[in-house]
Amino acid sequence: MPPLSRVLMWGIAFAVWAALPFVATRHIVDLLVFAGLYAIAGLGVAFLLGQCGIVSLAQSVFYGIGAYCTAWFCAHQALPSPVGIAAGIALSTGIAALVGWPILRLSGHFLALATLALGIIGQVLFLEWDGITGGTLGIGGIPRIAPFGFAFDTPLRFYFLVWPIALLLLVLHHNLLHSRNGLALRAMRDSPEAAAALGVDIHKLKVQIFVLSAALGSAAGSLFAHYVTFVSVDSFSIDRAISFLLLAVLGGVYTVWGPVLGALFITVLPQWLSRLGDIHALVFAAALIAAVILLPEGFGGAIRKWWHARVAK
Amino acid sequence: MTAEMAAEMTAEMTAEMSMAAQTADPLLQVRQISHSFGGLHVLRGVDFGVPAGSLTGLIGPNGAGKSTLFNIISGFLPPQRGSVRFDGRDITRDPVRTRARAGLVRTFQTPKVFGKLSVRENLMVGCHRHLASGVAGNMLRSRRSRAEMELMHAQAAQAGERFGLSEVMERPAGQVPAGMQRLVELARGCLSRPRLLMLDEPSSGLNTTEIGQLRELLQRLNREGITILLVSHDMQLVDVASRVHVLCFGSIIASGAMAQIKQDERVRQAYLGFQ
Repeated sequence: MPPLSRVLMWGIAFAVWAALPFVATRHIVDLLVFAGLYAIAGLGVAFLLGQCGIVSLAQSVFYGIGAYCTAWFCAHQALPSPVGIAAGIALSTGIAALVGWPILRLSGHFLALATLALGIIGQVLFLEWDGITGGTLGIGGIPRIAPFGFAFDTPLRFYFLVWPIALLLLVLHHNLLHSRNGLALRAMRDSPEAAAALGVDIHKLKVQIFVLSAALGSAAGSLFAHYVTFVSVDSFSIDRAISFLLLAVLGGVYTVWGPVLGALFITVLPQWLSRLGDIHALVFAAALIAAVILLPEGFGGAIRKWWHARVAK
Repeated sequence: MTAEMAAEMTAEMTAEMSMAAQTADPLLQVRQISHSFGGLHVLRGVDFGVPAGSLTGLIGPNGAGKSTLFNIISGFLPPQRGSVRFDGRDITRDPVRTRARAGLVRTFQTPKVFGKLSVRENLMVGCHRHLASGVAGNMLRSRRSRAEMELMHAQAAQAGERFGLSEVMERPAGQVPAGMQRLVELARGCLSRPRLLMLDEPSSGLNTTEIGQLRELLQRLNREGITILLVSHDMQLVDVASRVHVLCFGSIIASGAMAQIKQDERVRQAYLGFQ
């Protein structure tokens, strides 16, 4: 694409993104904030699945750890937001490294089951360690993020916090994908034996990506806690882990920005369909099935294919 | 900067290769390797060496145990008995990646290209073991990370020209013809600057002209200092080897120059089919 068209395209995209929360209803902006949070957590899951072939059902645990660390440090200890976020990331990445080292020696459905077990254990611990997590009652009164006295205390304001963070993380992932280790990851996905025969440390690379994915999940969880100001175990169930996986698959795991499309799909569409009344869940399920069957590489893959075909013409 | 780095890399490569060529002991020494699958004895006390700087052949009929031996040497299969020494060091229990990092690089009987990656990217992965940037540096596009990418691009372009792949550089490697996939694998292996390049049936699926070209290529690589261990049942190709070992029913039954091998009674009976 000529540079001018590219600049124009990005300019239009930016203008739409910036104008959207001012023309949309508060409810829609709220959904877009959640889509941004889910896109951050889903990005880690998509990266694991698309580049390492790892199906992870443990992302809800790291999402929960981030949220509870923020709740505990900021609400109970009255420490500033960065402390809670950093503690969540440190704890999540530590656990991911410790658990990932042994379980990432597994592969295929055995590995998926191991991550599912991790997700279930996490959910039980969130429920049982009520001294820290508040159990079913949860933790409330989590302060808003307020750097230099500016509080991100409305959906509109949070929209302009969460989406630039998501964009930054997408750029970082794009950089990784187009680097020495990104190439090694993609090589490993296509042929692990050949990659190992060229000196790629497959296990170490998988653990590193698992840790990175956990950091993303934790950061999204911390932001979630600051946004809703209340966390309870219901937000970190296996259903949440399945949602992250779903958005990754729907959005497309082979494109960096696929999870954004997937996150928008799973947050905005059900709400939009809810006007249909009781059958909205059925319609959403049908839309999911259709998307998976018709777009095996997700929305991102389909758009990329369409774009390449258009450029080739 | 790119050209300078490429030149530096080539100089390092030549120095490494000449050092290998000057070593008196075999670069690779296989000792008393035995392996069975259930009751089937595939290898029975195999002994042989690959001198540094040589082009050594390992031949044998189907089922002789060549691939099993190859997998044991490259670390894909642990032997039940015996040892593998590389550059004087026991590597019998080392994982594949450690052997690869030591310079023992292999290709596969069925070419294993990274199908979704372009030919250029396949070649770039070949440079992986000589570079050191980490995941964090890659994400932040550190100076080192950018320099490495430039270097990988330059090396891949050079190798693409050298191996006749320039015209298919941007195509997904899984979509180029089988003969070219072999070249991609070979070029990728060479980019990893091997001390020993092990080729498993590299002529499989190639026509006579392509086999002739492959012969020339192997001779050229060997002249440049790469030690090569060639496993094949193709006599036309193995003819390029300075020394050949014949494996039959899990044992080495003859070793020597190809002319000698062809005269060996046991080889003629067991492999070449002469009486």
